[in-house]
Amino acid sequence: MIYKISPTPSLGKRGGICKNALFFVLLLLLSVFSAGTAHAANNPAPAEYRPTEEAQICLGCHGDKGMVATLKNGEKLSLYVDDRILRDSVHGSFNCSTCHAGFSADKHPQRTFQSRGSYKAAASAVCIGCHTFKKGIHNIMLKGLKQAVCVDCHGAHSVKKASDSDSCRGCHTYSLSITFGNGETAHFRIDPEEIQESVHSKLRCYDCHFGFSQEEHPIRSFKSKRDLTIIASEGCRRCHFDKYTKTLEGIHYDILSRGNLSAPVCVDCHGSHSISSGRREKVLSARRCQRCHEDIYGVYAKSVHGSALLSEHNQDVPVCADCHKAHDLADPHTVDFRNKTPEMCGNCHANEELMTKYGLSTSVLESYLEDFHGVTVTFYKRQKEAVRHIAVCTDCHGIHDITKVKGPNATVLKSNLLTRCRKCHPGASENFPDTWISHYDPTFKRAPLVYAVTLIYKVFIPFMIIGLVLQILLHIWRYAVNR
Amino acid sequence: MSGKDRHGEGKFKRFGPYRIIEHQANVVVFAVLVITGLSQRYHAASWAQWLVMTLGGIDMVRFIHRSTGLVFSLFLIQHIAVAAYGLIFKKWGPSMIINKKDFSDAIDNLRYYFGITDRPARCDRYDYKQKFEYWGVTVGGVLMVITGLTLWFPTEIFSLLPMLPGQIIPAAKVAHTNEAMLAFLVIAIWHIYNSIFSPEVFPLDTSIFTGWISEERMIHEHPLEYERLTGEKLEGGHEAETKGLTDD
Repeated sequence: MIYKISPTPSLGKRGGICKNALFFVLLLLLSVFSAGTAHAANNPAPAEYRPTEEAQICLGCHGDKGMVATLKNGEKLSLYVDDRILRDSVHGSFNCSTCHAGFSADKHPQRTFQSRGSYKAAASAVCIGCHTFKKGIHNIMLKGLKQAVCVDCHGAHSVKKASDSDSCRGCHTYSLSITFGNGETAHFRIDPEEIQESVHSKLRCYDCHFGFSQEEHPIRSFKSKRDLTIIASEGCRRCHFDKYTKTLEGIHYDILSRGNLSAPVCVDCHGSHSISSGRREKVLSARRCQRCHEDIYGVYAKSVHGSALLSEHNQDVPVCADCHKAHDLADPHTVDFRNKTPEMCGNCHANEELMTKYGLSTSVLESYLEDFHGVTVTFYKRQKEAVRHIAVCTDCHGIHDITKVKGPNATVLKSNLLTRCRKCHPGASENFPDTWISHYDPTFKRAPLVYAVTLIYKVFIPFMIIGLVLQILLHIWRYAVNR
Repeated sequence: MSGKDRHGEGKFKRFGPYRIIEHQANVVVFAVLVITGLSQRYHAASWAQWLVMTLGGIDMVRFIHRSTGLVFSLFLIQHIAVAAYGLIFKKWGPSMIINKKDFSDAIDNLRYYFGITDRPARCDRYDYKQKFEYWGVTVGGVLMVITGLTLWFPTEIFSLLPMLPGQIIPAAKVAHTNEAMLAFLVIAIWHIYNSIFSPEVFPLDTSIFTGWISEERMIHEHPLEYERLTGEKLEGGHEAETKGLTDD
């Protein structure tokens, strides 16, 4: 379609002498206006736009929406050029051949491209013919990228201002490489799909990468790739301050601050661009810890909790973070951690609703806390200076290797008991583990002696006290009567 | 209420300094054991937690409880030894031995309380109530010492008596706490009533502090002993016991 220009109504009313002069003034104005695309977009003036003669000829074919070329790899490439895009473009007054060198009104060489990518690269290469950058972000791009990809950010015929997100992706969707102080190299390639699926899909790059913007791209140097990861993690605290504060109390931060840089930081567990919620999926949560704690994960996977998680996909069982916590994970070797164990296990095992599902008793916590060890631990939690190790749940049931108390694996528990008792009670004899009559109330069948003694006192104490009180009352009554 | 002061001229020696000191020492030991023991039994109560923390933690409370228990054990052993020595070498009579008369006295007193008879039982040096308490404390004390030591040395008990089943430890715990509760209640209700709030002694039975008991109380509470000591017959004494006290 050929673009036709009709004279403006005002022009028509004017006299003939001024016609030519006015036309040139308007042409001048047009070029000024089209330089500011925003202005042109807000005030459409189709009548004032006039593609060059050459463009009109090109648009004769390329104005057809159905015009498509098939590239060597089978990709389709639309050859349609929207004249409205040209109209809003800063290059709107250019001849097509200015950029598409080799083409003109009468020359149209046949060219083929491998893919859209290679076509884009070839098209972008044209831009740097005029736009040479001595400094700034574009200079870095030209140095860092093997191929110029101007069109990714600025578009082709639109030649628009780059948008926020596009301006980073322009380079970083390509495999940029960086060399660290220690000689390591890393490739920065951002997968836009990965970002789309992350919980941060709505954030802009600068929200995390502060200091950077469309205009600013400070050059930073890092000693190592690990250094960069650790420093990048600092960005999380701007929004997740509560979690960040918690990590300051955690053992991982403690290890890190003592110089061990392999201690995990935010992105090690949560990912960076693929960032996801930590707890949404329990298996994934456990596998995060597995990366470093492979041996423990192996033991856990075989335990009653781990096997239910992995084979039945049970979401009730605890994963690492349920006991150790996610951010403020404490050193599990401390007395403090031990003493919190009953409370920790009790979170689930004293939960009536949860335990009924599995036919487990909720009296386990109460019966432990009422026992000698439980009383001691409860007080030790309040006493800061207590250092003695007192048997808690894990001492009998195991830690990561917890098994069912009934069934084929229960023997492991039973045979381990004496060894565990002897840790604190060195002289314990074979029948010593029997001193613990399990977590249940003594019954005639299970513990006849304890049952009998309990029963005797249950009868004897009220009998005695009621008898004595009656005696006292009778005595007072007799005394009053005599008086 | 008691006419003791008005009949001040007639006093009888009831306890020597040995028994007085023994009683007072036992009061202190018993109080410490009850306080440290109950705060372990009711560990979840706020007062118990306050007490334990104030005393310096659970280990300190247990240390105090066990040391005091040891002192109590020594008191008990010496008491039994001295009592046995006294009985064997006839230093004193078997005044604390329970006999048939104690049972008939108890029944007689109940009849008297209900108004079936008009005179209470005539008792000797220790009446059946006092014997009940004495034997309660002694037998209960032995039980407390045995169960207490069992709980203190849970592994040693099995080296000593390997035939014992494991459940003797929880059984000992049940016995120890319940026996303690029983002893505490008997002392708090029965002993405190009989030595403080009973109209016959109110505001305080001072005999265990001074060692002396009034003639009037002797005639009233221990007529048989009175007759034995004075050689007098208290045939009309019963009148004084039942009516004279209030009318006189």
